[in-house]
Amino acid sequence: MATTSNYSWSTPDNTGYVKDGASSIRTLGSAVDTTLFTALGGAYPGLRLVKKQTIGSGVSSVTVTGAFSAAYENYRIIVSNCTATVSNALQLSYNNSTGSTYFHVGTYWTFGSTSIASETGSNLTSTWIANTGPGVINLYGDIFSPFLAAPTYSIGQGVSPTNPVVRYGRDTASVSNTGFTLTPGGGTLTGGTIYVYGYGIS
Amino acid sequence: MTKPMIQIDDEVREMTDEEFAMYEAAVQEWPAPTE
Repeated sequence: MATTSNYSWSTPDNTGYVKDGASSIRTLGSAVDTTLFTALGGAYPGLRLVKKQTIGSGVSSVTVTGAFSAAYENYRIIVSNCTATVSNALQLSYNNSTGSTYFHVGTYWTFGSTSIASETGSNLTSTWIANTGPGVINLYGDIFSPFLAAPTYSIGQGVSPTNPVVRYGRDTASVSNTGFTLTPGGGTLTGGTIYVYGYGIS
Repeated sequence: MTKPMIQIDDEVREMTDEEFAMYEAAVQEWPAPTE
């Protein structure tokens, strides 16, 4: 039986019978499947784009549905090139957690100064994932186990033309969530894109 | 009175009265009290 040069997948010999073609293809396909599964790290490897959402014009909140599921346990949210009208907090809430169960703590800087300011909030209806402008904001946040019926934790970092920020969030509600909402504490958002990635599990 | 715009996936529209009440109750002051 002939084999491929790199992974030694079995391929039919030139003199093989046509009647064995189906079996040969099945054997080759299974070998490719096994090699790729191992090489890529499982059925859902790496970071996979789950949802991509363009932000509209002058919106005071953006809800992304269908972001979390059983396919992934942890997620990364990226907001890029979005214009915010004022400097404020960027709040994060989950669709099935509507009570005052959110906490946040974090720090922010101001460009040109090494001074650090700390802040926290408790028993709120949303946590904070980053800050808004004024101007273009870019941020990312990791969301841990939002689909599990258990408390959800988040770690976010963002940067506006004025303030870099680091935020840690906790939602103590033991509910399963499938989506989230980003709400600037003041002003509006225009343009840019929200990306939601799932962290691969094997 | 014109209410703020809300976006749900690709849909962008004005908030309903109920959504506006929830929005007003949810927005938080920044900076938060410094520790």
